[in-house]
Amino acid sequence: MEEIRIGVYICWCGTNIAKMVDVEDVARELSEMPDVVIAKDYKYMCSDPGQDLIIKDIKKHNLNRIVVSACSPRIHELTFRRTLENAGLNPYMFQMANIREQVSWVHDDRIKATKKAKALVAAAINRIKWHESLDKRTVSINPSTLVIGGGIAGITAALELADTGSQVFLVEKERKLGGNMAKIDLTFPYLNSAQQIINEKIDRIEHHPNIRIFRNTVIDEIFGYIGNFNSTIGQNGTEAELKFGNIIVATGLKSFDPSGIKNYGYGKLPDVITSLEFEQMLLNGKILTKEGKEPANVAIIHCVGSRNSDEHEYCSRTCCMSALKYANQLRSAIPEVNIYQAYADMRAFGKGCEELYCSTSRKDVMFLMFDQQKDLPVIMEAKADDSCKMVIEMNEKLSGERIEIPADLVILMVGLEAQDDAKELARSVGISMCGNSFFMEKHPKLDPVATTTSGVYVVGNCQAPKEIPDAISQAKAATARIMATIKQGEVEVEVITAEVNEDICCGCKTCIQVCPYTAITFDENNSVSVVNEAICKGCGTCGSACPTGAIRSRHFTDNQILSQIKGLMSKSLELNEL
Amino acid sequence: MTYEPTIIAFLCNWCSYTGADLAGTSRMKYASNINIIRVMCSGRIEPMFVLSAFREGADGVLICGCHPGDCHYHEGNYKCLRRFHLLQKYLTQMGLNEERMRLEWISASEGKQFAELADDFTEKIRSLGPCKLKETAETLT
Ligand SMILES: Cc1cc2nc3c(=O)[nH]c(=O)nc-3n(C[C@H](O)[C@H](O)[C@H](O)COP(=O)(O)OP(=O)(O)OC[C@H]3O[C@@H](n4cnc5c(N)ncnc54)[C@H](O)[C@@H]3O)c2cc1C
Ligand code: SF4
Ligand code: SF4
Ligand code: SF4
Ligand code: FES
Repeated sequence: MEEIRIGVYICWCGTNIAKMVDVEDVARELSEMPDVVIAKDYKYMCSDPGQDLIIKDIKKHNLNRIVVSACSPRIHELTFRRTLENAGLNPYMFQMANIREQVSWVHDDRIKATKKAKALVAAAINRIKWHESLDKRTVSINPSTLVIGGGIAGITAALELADTGSQVFLVEKERKLGGNMAKIDLTFPYLNSAQQIINEKIDRIEHHPNIRIFRNTVIDEIFGYIGNFNSTIGQNGTEAELKFGNIIVATGLKSFDPSGIKNYGYGKLPDVITSLEFEQMLLNGKILTKEGKEPANVAIIHCVGSRNSDEHEYCSRTCCMSALKYANQLRSAIPEVNIYQAYADMRAFGKGCEELYCSTSRKDVMFLMFDQQKDLPVIMEAKADDSCKMVIEMNEKLSGERIEIPADLVILMVGLEAQDDAKELARSVGISMCGNSFFMEKHPKLDPVATTTSGVYVVGNCQAPKEIPDAISQAKAATARIMATIKQGEVEVEVITAEVNEDICCGCKTCIQVCPYTAITFDENNSVSVVNEAICKGCGTCGSACPTGAIRSRHFTDNQILSQIKGLMSKSLELNEL
Repeated sequence: MTYEPTIIAFLCNWCSYTGADLAGTSRMKYASNINIIRVMCSGRIEPMFVLSAFREGADGVLICGCHPGDCHYHEGNYKCLRRFHLLQKYLTQMGLNEERMRLEWISASEGKQFAELADDFTEKIRSLGPCKLKETAETLT
């Protein structure tokens, strides 16, 4: 057997790690472990000079295994695997110890943190002795793409891909395409017509030779993996078997239902409406109360269902600017109308938005602030002798006064929340959800449209509330990623599949019963189980269930994990005794 | 010196390990006694791993996977749960307090829950005191 020669690198991550972990001490101590040829600490391991350091050392010291102790492997494992490849080593001769997310950022005692870092690195060093070269596995990419959701994000993605000549399947739950954008009149901040933009796109999509649209349709179950997904879609009583290489999820968000907030009387007071209902009025060209009269006083209440622990803690991001948009539209439709904006905080970030705020405030609009956490305004029916239909009582925060606002029409700026079937959808495409039921991206900063499932992307509002330009940018970003894989024709996939040792297998078929993907079949002739590597996803469940130890879960073998435990424990106990 | 227990935590890659990373990115603080070992799915966690952790001197073992229904591989966590119950019985027979091993579901967004769990479990193990399995095994052999 070849001699084991390990290189160990401890990253400072600037001060991120170095301020809580004594990186030099870790490197010094672990350089003494058997088979470790060199151990170094360096400022930024993932930087080009950091990677070059590894490459040079591999060549100079003939290293054949590398341990990097830095951030989470979920962030940089692939980076360093590539570094190894560049130096001519098999990328699986690599192991990371997570001393940032799981040490320096979560502990506040430098001595203890340094001790734990040493134990984790010792575990990695012990594990890597059992690593073995694994061959790359590539799969071909089916050039078709499934887009789920036909709002502006889904439509944009579909057109973008279809224009390059690829086939797109677009699945929309409703009969009508366009999502929320098709339900609004003008768009902030420049007050362009939403209808004009969206209708042109819907028209193009309906006539595009490369796009097949499924309306009134939801996806049930999706099988396969990147490059080779398939699903059966039922529509109008017939079933279509679709095959596609990538998936874009663009299912958007729905408007919050304000009936539960009793202060606002939505559903009881006829002239309290939601922003979406007001958009419909604008689209109809008539701003009227239920009695068919033009309102003399209109109040717009912000943050309905948002930024409050009783409903949703997050900011829905589009309502402040929409509220300003309404003030402008009201002012031009009914020049003498009194407009009141009851807001919690005015959020006007983004191009053209602060400008919209300033120009609107010059249009004789009254801005009144309330406490969204503790003290919501109350909407009541006015008394018979009042000149208005409703009165809004609120404690105005800036003046500190209790005031009454007259209103004939009240617009509730309802927030955006997850679709009712978001959870089922997440399950069927195999992606995760964040706490507030938005779909989770692979990395919030570095990889905002991909997900942890290869070949599945999330774009538009379903990832988090956002305005139309951001939804479109995400859609285009995802299509660029997909086009790159289509162009290459194949992608690399994980090689951490299971393998049966036929000499040990007793033919009990336990593994076949536990595999969630029916990746294992039984070879009747030899009475042994066989894993189909194209289907196996490497969960390792069969490996833990096999009674004879015939199954090896590649890169997570028994020996690798047991030595990791051993390395961790012996270092930890050794340091405890000091 | 105060007694500092050593705890090994086996976390599945997709939900729980990501949740633990989130505790880090959110700079939540928790006990440094928890040492995480990553596996792809909680279904990969063999009883042997847990036993070996105790045998090597761990005072507690924590197992975390995705919430029921959320496993990246559909149902690995159910397999894990079933095995966990068997393992609990086994540990009791070996004379270990079954509370030294805990199974919890942690999703990718539950950084806070992970940090709280880490602290809570560490306190539990601290109150149980050192696990004597390693010593006993060494005197027997
Ligand atoms: C009242 C209001 C006013 C707004 N005004 C503005 C503005 O002026 N300017 C601006 O920039 N932004 C505005 N926005 C925000 C804007 O609407 C969103 O940014 C945009 O609609 C996001 O597009 P989307 O495609 O991501 O999602 P959506 O528009 O929500 O589209 C999602 C689509 O997916 C479909 N779908 C959902 N679930 C499934 C499923 N399981 N299977 C298949 N299909 C599914 C839905 O039916 C829908 O058609 C406003 C929003 C609201 C509510
Ligand atoms: S955008 Fe404005 S109205 Fe909407 S939730 Fe955020 S702060 Fe409230
Ligand atoms: S569980 Fe193990 S021994 Fe049984 S059939 Fe599968 S590989 Fe063979
Ligand atoms: S590792 Fe998982 S997917 Fe692969 S064969 Fe085993 S049980 Fe099936
Ligand atoms: S992937 Fe988390 S429990 Fe299976």
